[in-house]
Amino acid sequence: MEHGILEIGPGQLALALVFILAAGATSLYHGLKLERDLVVGTLRTFVQLFLLGYILRYIFHLDSVWPVLGVFCFMIVFAARIIRTRVKEKQVSFFWPILISMIISYSLVSIMVTGVVVGARPWWKPQYFIPLAGMLIGNSMNAMAISLDRLLGELRKRRQEVEMMLCHGADYGEASRDMVKTAMRAGMIPSINSMMAAGVVFIPGMMTGQILAGADPVLAIRYQIVVMVMLVGSTAVVSLLGVLLVRRLCFGPGHQLLIRPERPGGRS
Amino acid sequence: MVSAGSIVEFRDVSYGFSEGRPLFSRVNLSIRKGGYYLVQGPSGAGKSTFLRLINRLEEPLSGEILFRGRALSSYPPPLLRRSILYVQQSPTVIDASVRENLLMPFFFRSNAHLERPEDGRMKGLLQDFLLQGIGLGDNALTLSTGQLQRLCLIRGLLLSPEVLLLDEPASALDTESARVVQSMLERMNTESGVTALMVTHRTPDPGAVIPVILKLGHGRIKEEAWNMESWR
Repeated sequence: MEHGILEIGPGQLALALVFILAAGATSLYHGLKLERDLVVGTLRTFVQLFLLGYILRYIFHLDSVWPVLGVFCFMIVFAARIIRTRVKEKQVSFFWPILISMIISYSLVSIMVTGVVVGARPWWKPQYFIPLAGMLIGNSMNAMAISLDRLLGELRKRRQEVEMMLCHGADYGEASRDMVKTAMRAGMIPSINSMMAAGVVFIPGMMTGQILAGADPVLAIRYQIVVMVMLVGSTAVVSLLGVLLVRRLCFGPGHQLLIRPERPGGRS
Repeated sequence: MVSAGSIVEFRDVSYGFSEGRPLFSRVNLSIRKGGYYLVQGPSGAGKSTFLRLINRLEEPLSGEILFRGRALSSYPPPLLRRSILYVQQSPTVIDASVRENLLMPFFFRSNAHLERPEDGRMKGLLQDFLLQGIGLGDNALTLSTGQLQRLCLIRGLLLSPEVLLLDEPASALDTESARVVQSMLERMNTESGVTALMVTHRTPDPGAVIPVILKLGHGRIKEEAWNMESWR
């Protein structure tokens, strides 16, 4: 393959739809009732990605820091909303703490990676900053959701133990130290596992993209390593910050555990 | 009772899980220093909640609770809870030895300056509570519920609290062990002046101390003098 990417024209895009037709036929044949979802999913993929493509092209063209930061904030707010729907918790409202911890940790890691490690000039150069930050947010959003879910679940399940410690003079941090550890581990293990499997079990997405775009595989690998290390780092920072902020909300001013077993009419 | 003078005071305290159905409604109450109280009431009357309000595991919806004449909120919570020690209804221990469980509170920051009890003292207390067969190195999770109840009580006593809040401390005990627990608590009350409030379903034997009865029900707390008839 020559350097540079092979063009995909409208005809070729339409040809790719054959795969969706095959999936639709399978659904019809076996009565899976997935035809509607397949159509909606395909449409959304087309619309969302084309929209993204045009927005990115426009932002690249503008070459200004503000639209880049705008996209960055939009992605974070959206990720925080997704976490809010995934973590089922009615007694503690954790939207703001996770938003704050995401903004702090993603800004730190993204700026460090684009500005220092990759060495993009300026640090917000959209071609680097937006895709790298996007990968960061998309991946560690899962870690954050897992960590929070685990933290709240552990506090609820081990309420007796937490209160026992509080009753003997522990502050809220001491009484919930174990639960924080468990939550952090749960959030970080998937990204550590994916480091273990990288290149052996799967070829990571970013590297695949770069190779398809004609980049030297060894250069693609370097980028991929930076991304994976960055993911583990940001996962740790964002989960820790988020877990610590949300934990504080789980306790009242008198260090009393506010999370209660679900009961009808229970005070929240 | 060692002396008069109140150690804990409720001023117009209301509490409820929902606004419409208060568990306590404008309760005024004075717990005397060195008093020995039995908390009584039908199930759901809020006996545990009453104890949890005193050590601030629960906050009143309105009104104020004072400890030594100052609002509970004016004390750092860890310090307050070490002075007003609540022993939970279901005994809770960590997966570690009896010794580690007894010493656990001494590793918390707010208790770090307290002198850690020697093995001899802990063994002595185990013996006092008829737990002489248990070694300090045994895993606490291997003990029976009755043994755990006494272990948890000992863990609290080691912190030398001023007020002891006991939520059914003898519910899983046989008659003899329950009697021993009662007489130990009476001794603590008369000798060290510890104020004790105890939720219990057992009819207590008339012991060395005449208890005061706190009757809970219909949103109120009524103080009654002890007599066998009132208990029945």
